[in-house]
Amino acid sequence: MASYIIDKKDLKILLDKFLKEFKVYGPIKPGLDSSVDEIKSIDDLHLEYKSTIISPKKFFLPPKDTLFEFKIQKGNYEIKEIVNDEKFILFGLHPCDVNAILKLDEFFSGKFKDKYYQNRRKNSIIIALNCTQPGENSFCKSMNAGPFLYKGYDILLTDIDTKYLIEIGSDKGKKIIQGLKLNIASKNDLLKKEKKCKLANKKIKKILDPNWLPKLAEENLDHEIWIDLGERGGVAGSFPCLSCGSCSLVCPTCYCYDIYDTVDLSLKNGSRVRELDSCQLLEYGQVALGGNFRKDRKDRIRHWMFCKFGAAAGSKNSSCVGCGRCIRVCPSKIDITKVAKSLWRKK
Amino acid sequence: MMNEYYPNFAIIKEIKKETINTNTFVLKFTDQKIADKFSWKPGQFMMLSVLGVGESAISISSVENDNSINATIRNVGNVTNSIFSLKKGDSLGMRGPYGTGWPLEKIIGKDILIVAGGMGLAPLYGVINHVIRNRTEYGHLEIIYGARTPENMVFKDEFSKWKRIKNSTFFLTADEITRENPFECRTGLVTSCFPMMKTHHRNAIALLCGPEIMMRFAAKCLETIGFADKKIYLSLERRMKCGIGKCGHCQIGLKYVCKDGPVFNYDDIKPFIRPL
Ligand SMILES: Cc1cc2nc3c(=O)[nH]c(=O)nc-3n(C[C@H](O)[C@H](O)[C@H](O)COP(=O)(O)OP(=O)(O)OC[C@H]3O[C@@H](n4cnc5c(N)ncnc54)[C@H](O)[C@@H]3O)c2cc1C
Ligand code: FES
Repeated sequence: MASYIIDKKDLKILLDKFLKEFKVYGPIKPGLDSSVDEIKSIDDLHLEYKSTIISPKKFFLPPKDTLFEFKIQKGNYEIKEIVNDEKFILFGLHPCDVNAILKLDEFFSGKFKDKYYQNRRKNSIIIALNCTQPGENSFCKSMNAGPFLYKGYDILLTDIDTKYLIEIGSDKGKKIIQGLKLNIASKNDLLKKEKKCKLANKKIKKILDPNWLPKLAEENLDHEIWIDLGERGGVAGSFPCLSCGSCSLVCPTCYCYDIYDTVDLSLKNGSRVRELDSCQLLEYGQVALGGNFRKDRKDRIRHWMFCKFGAAAGSKNSSCVGCGRCIRVCPSKIDITKVAKSLWRKK
Repeated sequence: MMNEYYPNFAIIKEIKKETINTNTFVLKFTDQKIADKFSWKPGQFMMLSVLGVGESAISISSVENDNSINATIRNVGNVTNSIFSLKKGDSLGMRGPYGTGWPLEKIIGKDILIVAGGMGLAPLYGVINHVIRNRTEYGHLEIIYGARTPENMVFKDEFSKWKRIKNSTFFLTADEITRENPFECRTGLVTSCFPMMKTHHRNAIALLCGPEIMMRFAAKCLETIGFADKKIYLSLERRMKCGIGKCGHCQIGLKYVCKDGPVFNYDDIKPFIRPL
């Protein structure tokens, strides 16, 4: 599909068109850090961001989501459907986060479709922004998930100095820019993008070989590193894991959730809710009569690492996109790339 | 789009007492169309829910002619407690069936060894019925069932029938016998019956279900007497929230118990039967 360019100062025209038809969410910087939230005008938009603490996963898999409401009357039940039909644009998502969404897409399809996730996905338009300023914790390049994007977008923007290069990735993307007067990108503009991509790649310092990650998951069930990580002095300069679950909270691909019911005071109306959960928390593996399939911290951190290395959702592919959020928030300074390397070295 | 999270409703047609804390509930979908369409395999499970309290995974022990489902439930916590507070005629939520069943077609022609502990007999009850109904298709049937005490045993009404199955052996064993012993139980763990076992591993398949520790020991013992890992199947229990392979709670290593199991070939999951 054709590529276009737009002057940075004209981005407002583009955004205003979107705002007329859709709710738009994009990177904002309300305080010290960035987050993806509602954009009401171009002034809210903060496109020069490195990463957000909470990933855009929240738009498809909210931290807390009502599955349905119910009414209990004289022993009979009535189920009320929750319909969510908001159409929205995610503006300025980075490649790692788009790739994470692609992984979630796969996960929430299959034999049993997840209507809640798929509805939101169907109603969303992704306008991605290639990442020219990867942060110090990023290892997206190793995970084939950045810093530049090659699939999964409806529209893709690249900052090429005074302009943005606009690439169209889908019919949805084509449709939403219809009617706008945009100049076709020149060969030079496309070359500039290549240059930017090379520069961004150079800025990434954390490198892993993703091909051996799934093997690490299979072959190291009894490695002492897990004891180090869970109970002793940590690994490669980290402290032992605290089982706080922060890594799951910020991970763009952690999808595990708990399901529970709530009822109001009359005990007649209630809802079944799902809430994101973490395998790092003790309660996650708990069953009736005090049993727990993952009581030890070392078993939980191993489970989490394995999921990222390649055991997620029963697949053999890594669910990690290398965004580096877990490294950034871990209070014990656990670095998944260092854990992987230590495992590899000590084989 | 069908929404798999919505429970259908079922009415409790009957409640049978099994032990002091276990009942069999006979459940019939209130929607006749759903009841008519229902098909299942022994080893599969349902998600039963009491709205306002929650959901639990419960094995299908058997299915009657009108497609009513027999669920044998032990009262151990929130959800099971509220199921026990329901009476005949009350309704509850039910969705399923989920999971893989026992490999009944694959084991045609083989001798079958069933090793069950406690509630673990529930998912195997359907296998026993299947073998009785298709007696000529299978070889020797051996059932070894253990529980903490004879009173804790489920499906006691069937024992006399099972003792009379053609070409079969039936052992009952209890960890301890404190009161009466109406079924001539032996004392000891299920594995203590192994030396007397008639089944020879050559043409046999072993099906195990019970507390994980019991299955681990039983599988190990079977290995030492010559059973190849591939000939052992077991049904695992894990915490389940969705039952459809999404919530992640039932993961064990690379597998999801709700979707890849609960019945697994021992060879596939051997390294993972421990905290994983
Ligand atoms: C495939 C499968 C088949 C089962 N079949 C039977 C059966 O036929 N009869 C029977 O009595 N029990 C069976 N169970 C165990 C049964 O699911 C639990 O005993 C029950 O969920 C306990 O829930 P509760 O709310 O009463 O207890 P609570 O402790 O109050 O439970 C709290 C939560 O933990 C979950 N949970 C607790 N214990 C377990 C457990 N052992 N396994 C999975 N989730 C658990 C529940 O879903 C619930 O959401 C089976 C479990 C599995 C996984
Ligand atoms: S019970 Fe939810 S994934 Fe298996």
